[in-house]
Amino acid sequence: MSRALSVYAAAALVFLHAPLVVLVLFSFNGGRFTVWEGFSLRWYQAAVSDPQLAEGLVNSLLIAVVAGVLSTVIGTLAAYGMWRRASPVLSGALYLSLVTPEIVTGVSLLALFQWAFRFLHLQLGLYTVVIAHVAFSIAYVTIVVSSRLRSYDRTLEEAAMDLGATEWGAFRRVTLPSIAPAVAAAGLLALVVSFDDYVITSLVAGVDSQTLPMVIYAMARRGVSPVVNAVSALIVVAFGAVIVVAERLQKR
Amino acid sequence: MKRRAFLAGGATALLGCGRDKRPRLNVYNWSSYIDPAMVERFEREQGVRVRYGTYEGNEEMLAKVVTGNSGWDVVFPTHSRLAPMARHNLLAPLDARRLPSLGNLDARFRRPVWDADLRWGVPYMWNATGIVYNRQQTAVPTGWDALWSAGLKGRMTMLDDPEDVIGVCLQKLGFPFDSVEERQLQAAKREAVRQKQLLRAYINAEVRDQLVAGDVLAAQLWSTTAAQAMRAAPQLAFAYPREGYPLYCDCAAVLRESKRYELAHEFLDFLLRPEVAAANARVADTATANGAARRLLPADAVLYPPDEIYARGVWPPALPSAAQRYRDRLWTEIKAA
Amino acid sequence: MNTRWWFLLPARVWTALFLLAPLGIVGAYSVLTRGDYGGVEAPWTMESYTRLIDPLYLAILWRSVWMATLSTVLCALLGFPLALFIARAGRRKNLWLQLVLLPFWTSFLVRTYAWLFILRDTGLVNTVLQRLHVIRTPLPLLYNDGAVLLGLVYSFLPFFVLPVYAALERLDGSLAEAAADLGARPLSTLRRVILPLSAPGIAAGCVLVFIPCLGSYLTPDLLGGGKTVMVGNLIQNQFTTARDWPFGSATSLVLMLVSALALLMMMRSPATKEML
Repeated sequence: MSRALSVYAAAALVFLHAPLVVLVLFSFNGGRFTVWEGFSLRWYQAAVSDPQLAEGLVNSLLIAVVAGVLSTVIGTLAAYGMWRRASPVLSGALYLSLVTPEIVTGVSLLALFQWAFRFLHLQLGLYTVVIAHVAFSIAYVTIVVSSRLRSYDRTLEEAAMDLGATEWGAFRRVTLPSIAPAVAAAGLLALVVSFDDYVITSLVAGVDSQTLPMVIYAMARRGVSPVVNAVSALIVVAFGAVIVVAERLQKR
Repeated sequence: MKRRAFLAGGATALLGCGRDKRPRLNVYNWSSYIDPAMVERFEREQGVRVRYGTYEGNEEMLAKVVTGNSGWDVVFPTHSRLAPMARHNLLAPLDARRLPSLGNLDARFRRPVWDADLRWGVPYMWNATGIVYNRQQTAVPTGWDALWSAGLKGRMTMLDDPEDVIGVCLQKLGFPFDSVEERQLQAAKREAVRQKQLLRAYINAEVRDQLVAGDVLAAQLWSTTAAQAMRAAPQLAFAYPREGYPLYCDCAAVLRESKRYELAHEFLDFLLRPEVAAANARVADTATANGAARRLLPADAVLYPPDEIYARGVWPPALPSAAQRYRDRLWTEIKAA
Repeated sequence: MNTRWWFLLPARVWTALFLLAPLGIVGAYSVLTRGDYGGVEAPWTMESYTRLIDPLYLAILWRSVWMATLSTVLCALLGFPLALFIARAGRRKNLWLQLVLLPFWTSFLVRTYAWLFILRDTGLVNTVLQRLHVIRTPLPLLYNDGAVLLGLVYSFLPFFVLPVYAALERLDGSLAEAAADLGARPLSTLRRVILPLSAPGIAAGCVLVFIPCLGSYLTPDLLGGGKTVMVGNLIQNQFTTARDWPFGSATSLVLMLVSALALLMMMRSPATKEML
């Protein structure tokens, strides 16, 4: 069974990475369209010298990290709290956030911010994007962490508390370490979702907060798409390198 | 009060501004619609900073500016949105005395039908919807009916936009592009449903690649996008249908909320300079409304149709609420058919 | 004030301020009148809801539910073995997890454009098959329901894999090995040990895939060629081209109600009661 599983996993990976291969290939295309016109590095040159792209990348990374960490912390705490004793109102609210179409989340948050700005002298900016991203990521984190907690053995924690640990101490020392991989998986999902969001972001972003997806959508829909391929290829290679290095470091 | 100051301080830190003391102009424009070098030039000349942001649709821009505290100074709505925006008190009336270069505008745009006194917006770039086709594999289309030809079944596309598709069906039947008459609109819907069987897809700019590669042989498309595809593939050509066709013009406007009214005018006037307008038109790959700039650009019969063809074009106005809603219902019916 | 209260506090505050309050705004929009050029105006009216009672919109809703169900089933079939493999990959499992997520660091639009190239008539698959003389005329791979399903499964596969992996992660081979040592055949190990253990993850994965699929609009537009409407497109159109915010709000509230009912039914049914 495990050999069949390995073959299958390899096939799934091919399916997931096929578009990546295509976009890396066309990032080296001399022409503007997806018709091969010879090897060229011109799109990479354009990509690295574009200040909008650089700014968008920095903004997106910043937003993803802040929103990812915040939503992972909030979501994990909530999942744990709800595991201890159900909270129908909160879990209902979180499911509601899942079932809200993106554009509705975006438009309604924009309306909320604009209403609040009548009283606070603020404007849309990076922080409104972070707020929005945390708002829709908490549900993802909670659901992923909850699915792990459901198979977690409650007696371990009870034993710790019998031995005199506080609730918080039992959570931190006993439960959290054993569900850590699930929390990491949930955090990763939150990071990726935040990094890639376009619809909500474009609605709540302010004057100074163009993100990478916003820059990419702008370019791709107007006819400079090969630059977009080059950027994506660079990002994939950079993240791939980080993954491999992290793996090597972990082994030591 | 303390908390408010703290919040504002935190926000400023997050926004990363406050370092640069130069005055700042916030410009919100369609993507790829300006030469970045021209923005830098304006910054140098005026000793100011320009914050340049982009949007993908009029609705996205409107959602932001509708409450009057978006932070933007200059926006570029399409011609049909100028009047409604002005009616909602979103736009500041322009001061022609501060725009000495208005005379550079092409004669076609000095007294446009949608804003005859240029009170709300300075025409910037414009664009038409027509038919792009593959010369080697299709007959030259003369009218919209070419996009109903059974011989091209599965090799044609229409724009994914209710205004353009329903409007074209109306024009094909001899009705006005912006008709609000139920009977005419119903007839147009039947045309669209009939056509749907022959279409490959309803797509916008994405059709470019498939026109160049030869998957698609004829498509309803904007003249600017068509011009880009034609440059890569000489077998492509563009036709302005005989029944008429829609035209669109994006105009530079100053928001009423702007606290930099004078600087905004300086920017608008800067955009009107021939060499600046020409550079922007080159980057945007679009037709400029600036006649003086056009003389600096290569002739292009696709982007700038001659007078007798131009005369057939219509500038669609914003539709009243009820008509808009009726059309959306028809569009959903077409899509669900 | 017990500790549990503090665990839930941040989530409660955040959801109240940034999920429930905006939702209240949507509710208000849905009973207002369409502004002439976007936005909303007085007077209050239920018209947006009465307009929805219409075979046209019900058919669209039904179609969306059907497509989302199909995508969820496909995601489960593809995603479960992958999650199982990663959970059992020992020290390598982090590497595998990251590799599965790697494509999703690129923009959704860029990935979808890459699929356009793979699937179109002059694209990768058709060109290769024609060169190999397997087919003579190109297969219609693009602009149909199949392409939409492929796009949806591709986009949401990680949303299934991650929760299942999170539920299975502690399995680590040892439990399955123990079962095998005790003489269980692979299939019965799967049925008796692995499936029950991963059940909460599967349920969570189904929710995380089904619901976003139901509201998706870009995939049907770009890979389906805009020739069909899903309820996500309908809502998107109301906030963009149609400029009818009340109708868009009402439609999305109804969509949310349907999704919530689907969830509730899942939770109540005895087969899945244990999962959620």
